Amino acid sequence: MKTNPATQYFNFSRRHFLRGIGACIALPAMESLKPLALLASVNKAGSAASKLAMTATGAPLRTAFIYFPNGAIPSEWWPTREGKVFDFTRTLQPLEKNRNSLQILGGLNHLNAEAGLDGGGDHACANGTFLTGVRMKKSASDIRAGISIDQVMAQSIGHLTRFPSLELTCDQVRKAGACDSGYSCAYQHNISWSSPTTPMTPEFNPRLVFERLFGNGTHGERSQNLKRRQQEQRSVLDFVLEDARNMQSRLASRDKDKLDQYLTGVREIETRIERAERFENIKDPALDTPAGIPSDHGEYVQLMYDMMVLAFQSDSTRIVTMLLAHDGSNRSFADIGISEGHHDLSHHQNKAEMIKKVAEIDLWYVKQFAKFLDKLQATKDVDGHSLLHNSMIVYGGGNADGNRHTHSNLPILLAGAGGGALTTGRHIKLGAKPTTNLFLSMADRLGMSSLERFGDSTGRLSEI
Amino acid sequence: MTLMARGGALRAADSPSASRQFRNSVQPVLTKYCYDCHADGVSKGGVAFDEFKSDSALLENRELWWTVLKYLRAGIMPPEKKPRPSSQEKHAVETWIKAGVLGIDPANPDPGRVTLRRLNRVEYRNTVRELTGVDFKTEEEFPPDDSGHGFDNIGDVLTLPPMLLEKYLVAAKSVVDSAVPIVSKTVAEKMIYGGQFTQAKANANSQTNTKKRNGSLSFYETGTTTSGYKTERAGPYQLLLDLSVNEKFIDGIFDYNKCRLIFKVDGQELLRKDFSWEGGKTYHFEVETNLQAGEHQLAFSVEPLTPDEKQTRSLEMRVNSVKIRGPMDEHFWVRPKNYERFFPKDVPESVAERRNYAGELLEKFAGKAFRHPVDEKTAARLATLAESIYRQPGKTFESGVAQAMVAVLASPRFLFREEEVEPISGSEIHPSVDEYALASRLSYFLWSSMPDEELFGLAGQKKLRENLPAQVKRMLADGRSQELMRNFPGQWLQARDIETVPIDARAVWLRETKVDPGVEKLRARLRELKSKDNANLSAAEKEEFEKIRAQINKPFNQGRTELTGDLRNAMRQETEKVFEHVLRKDLDLAELIESNWTFLNERLAKYYGIEGVQGDEMRFVTLPSGSPRGGILTEGTVLAVTSNPTRTSPVKRGVFILDNLLGLPPPPPPPNIPALEEVAGEKKNRSLSLREMLELHRSKPLCASCHNRMDPLGLALENFNALGIWRDQEQDQIIDAAGKLITGEPFKNVGELKHILATEHRRDFYRCVTEKLLTYALGRGLEYYDVGTVDQIVERIEKEHGRPSVLLTGIIESGPFQKRRNLPDSVPSPKSVPGERAQLSTTP
Repeated sequence: MKTNPATQYFNFSRRHFLRGIGACIALPAMESLKPLALLASVNKAGSAASKLAMTATGAPLRTAFIYFPNGAIPSEWWPTREGKVFDFTRTLQPLEKNRNSLQILGGLNHLNAEAGLDGGGDHACANGTFLTGVRMKKSASDIRAGISIDQVMAQSIGHLTRFPSLELTCDQVRKAGACDSGYSCAYQHNISWSSPTTPMTPEFNPRLVFERLFGNGTHGERSQNLKRRQQEQRSVLDFVLEDARNMQSRLASRDKDKLDQYLTGVREIETRIERAERFENIKDPALDTPAGIPSDHGEYVQLMYDMMVLAFQSDSTRIVTMLLAHDGSNRSFADIGISEGHHDLSHHQNKAEMIKKVAEIDLWYVKQFAKFLDKLQATKDVDGHSLLHNSMIVYGGGNADGNRHTHSNLPILLAGAGGGALTTGRHIKLGAKPTTNLFLSMADRLGMSSLERFGDSTGRLSEI
Repeated sequence: MTLMARGGALRAADSPSASRQFRNSVQPVLTKYCYDCHADGVSKGGVAFDEFKSDSALLENRELWWTVLKYLRAGIMPPEKKPRPSSQEKHAVETWIKAGVLGIDPANPDPGRVTLRRLNRVEYRNTVRELTGVDFKTEEEFPPDDSGHGFDNIGDVLTLPPMLLEKYLVAAKSVVDSAVPIVSKTVAEKMIYGGQFTQAKANANSQTNTKKRNGSLSFYETGTTTSGYKTERAGPYQLLLDLSVNEKFIDGIFDYNKCRLIFKVDGQELLRKDFSWEGGKTYHFEVETNLQAGEHQLAFSVEPLTPDEKQTRSLEMRVNSVKIRGPMDEHFWVRPKNYERFFPKDVPESVAERRNYAGELLEKFAGKAFRHPVDEKTAARLATLAESIYRQPGKTFESGVAQAMVAVLASPRFLFREEEVEPISGSEIHPSVDEYALASRLSYFLWSSMPDEELFGLAGQKKLRENLPAQVKRMLADGRSQELMRNFPGQWLQARDIETVPIDARAVWLRETKVDPGVEKLRARLRELKSKDNANLSAAEKEEFEKIRAQINKPFNQGRTELTGDLRNAMRQETEKVFEHVLRKDLDLAELIESNWTFLNERLAKYYGIEGVQGDEMRFVTLPSGSPRGGILTEGTVLAVTSNPTRTSPVKRGVFILDNLLGLPPPPPPPNIPALEEVAGEKKNRSLSLREMLELHRSKPLCASCHNRMDPLGLALENFNALGIWRDQEQDQIIDAAGKLITGEPFKNVGELKHILATEHRRDFYRCVTEKLLTYALGRGLEYYDVGTVDQIVERIEKEHGRPSVLLTGIIESGPFQKRRNLPDSVPSPKSVPGERAQLSTTP
């Protein structure tokens, strides 16, 4: 461990690690991904399912959905020119370096987030509808959303990796009291839903994400620890499974739902244990486990992005969702001189000063995202391409103009070339299309072309 | 909602008598007072009483009538300027709605149904502590629980995603690992903590040595810290050293100092190690030595190695602890810590006896953990699990039992609160929950934790119900009831949020100072510089940056107040302790709104500008006459958590009062609200005061109906800034806190508002507290059929001068708390289809 220059670098300072992760991990990545490359080639030669979540060169194809809150100032976001010759606006400027890996998608809507007969609640709806494409049921406790696209994907391709999907957030503080306009807080704090009633609660602590992916302890002992833990869990799982089945038979239907959630969890853990045995070597990055949540928010966001890089690079999962902050978030950004709350500012009343500040926050988020793309770009995948090349990453939000709570022409961009299956480097105006059409087209790239419809989809996007 | 109605209450609305009553005594009242706006082609607010196909269609609309009841009672309808029904007329309508429409049967109230409740983070932590003695930090290890109806213990919303189950498995293992010993005997251990070390420090002034209690040694100077230790027996000992390198973090500045650490026992060197800065890292070393029986001295010394380095980060070596293990000889081994708690007997020899013993232990443990005795089959399954482990080579009996305990803590019977019911007796419609379930309902309500031995014992003898008043009294007297005092007001009054609410003190103070164009200019320049990356600034720009910053900050660095951690903590405690005081002293609940006392420590008292409170301890303080404090409305927590980061929000404050004190929150804003600036029109160019802005708001009929209710309440608190500090003006404008409630009562200031709320609206407040606490106690949102239960409790509270004991007893004795609904659960569970559309709510 002492001899690895990368680790020494890391040991010197966590902050340095954060800045340099892309370069740092490049070394062990190739090494650790070997067994997977093998697996990929086996699949390629084999069954009909061979193309699932795989690029043409046999590398894993990753998908991520990253949500930022409260919309973006449209005039600072949208380029004026279309096509390959598009221009970078101020907000999107940090992405210029990755110009050729991007598609800026204009004209995507989420009409199901618009207020219906049941009145307002745009933040809950923006958040809850983003990946589900359905209308949220307005209730403080009778939760009913829809299954989200990442979970639909996980159902088809999740078996290829140790974790079907990973859900992350950089928003760990919950307010007491009621949430948005009679909607349960669950809608506002979850973008991923495995069923209309089960939100996939995101993980907020980078240490716990890391330990979940790679095991407890220091580098070198993690795989063993993880294996031991899983062995111990087997006997426990047998017992609790029987408990759960007995209990379920005693319960009424609403309560049965809860036990269903429990049983689903047990099955998922069992599958993971089986898979771990199949995959033999669980990767163990030559890195220290993160200590916890950094106090600096930028560092925190980067560390969580790093966890995404690690998860993709080690092929622990091919699907990640990340809620940077819940819609309606009132975080203030003192570091960039903005002490007002984000949500508060987003209702800017067309005051130039406030608009400017919101745009600064939009920019801050894009800067963080750009660093993430840089890391993906700097990390080589098994086929020699970059991780970014072999990914499809949606970055966007469910509010278009935060001031007026509109849900049309949402700020959404798609990064990564999908292993070559996407035509990048463009700004496209799609007219007015459901955002779910984009999701269907992404599912196609994953080899899920039998998915005919999702949410309010009306078809596929031929343009991407 | 409508589904619940179908499966739930009695179908009273169908009865001809309800219809007759409507015609005879209700419709005339409606015609007289309501039909002007809600009939004959007029349907204000989307409500028209004469546009239903039939009487029964009108009477079946429970949501509508439930709303009518609420608005009528709150005095919001008919509006202030219209003729209003007499109290008899009102009573007639109320009675009819309750009995005729809502079908409330006071003798057999529908207890509703609580969805199976998962332990939330607080409950899990407390339960595990009670069960095993381990304090498991759920706030760090588990994701936050979703909340509904303002509370985080609502069964419907406490979901269990796979990730959380995974965490439960890991937590179970970790809890058992740290609680349950897995060997019968082990080497004796003794911990010496850093605080027990003392440092001989040369004191230059007095020329004498003063001893300082301290396990920390600076990197920059030679120093030694020592502790004594007495051994009973001679022999080989093992010493485990736990050290850390600490620093004061300064961004962008590094400290390259190194030091050497030497550890000695009785002068004999056992460890020598060089350290550089490692940013908060901890180190563990293990040394061995032979010790005689008697006194020994442990000494850590530091020698600086880099006298010429800049000392920037106050690096120090901290001794966290030394664990002394020994003598190592098996002959002297002792019972591990906690052994008797989990293993009261010696482990038997024979296979059969071992199995019996395991079964016995696990039956007891699981019974406690599941809060209900377990059947033989479960005990046998657990014993089998234990056996499958301890029969493996090299495994102890204890480790097998421990593994079975892990299974118990991971079981759904531990994580969820399953409830059984008693058989139905006599004229009962709904069965009572059994005594074990009752014990859990009580303990999770009052303690946020599992039942203790006494409750469990009484439930076992079926004597809990008959001893309910005595038990409630005992439980409230028990220290664990602090959980109620923390978790209920923490959420009801949002006191929890004070810990994290972002308030920018500087920006808040700025609003209070007059606008200075010079400073504004500087500020603009500062922002400009900030927008560039620090690395891109030239030296001159950097200097300019610092200069401007110092200039701007000057007024704020002179004793201005920030909302620091200790203040936030004191504020939270104020809210909790005021609630606790009213509850424990059984004072009128209305004192929560208006009182001449509160709880303060020195820090908070100074912050509020109150003299004569000294010390960190929060204590009861009688307020000086004329103090605006005393009561929820002027507590720091409420004032700050209802503010935006840089300014107050009268709207949020108004909503807070309507929702949490008067119990009738305004409906959410309608979709497609016109932007405020469109309303503002030509006045746009002038900067408006908040009050003027809100007045504009209210000039629009669409906004007015609700903003007329909330804005005056919020504006009454304008004398308190976002930090909760009193002010007379904001920028150039004197604050005007006067206003009028929607029900007509005028007030000049917050004091008068409090008085109106505590007297004229006392009943509304009692009802509101009852509803909130009942929601918290039941773990579900209240429904129309709970109106009867709430009314009964409120009536009793009123009769008994607002005493909280009546409220608590009322809730605990109520149908919903004591019973479970006895109807087949007919709510169909919709299938989950990918992308399926959720149903649109049809509520009007």
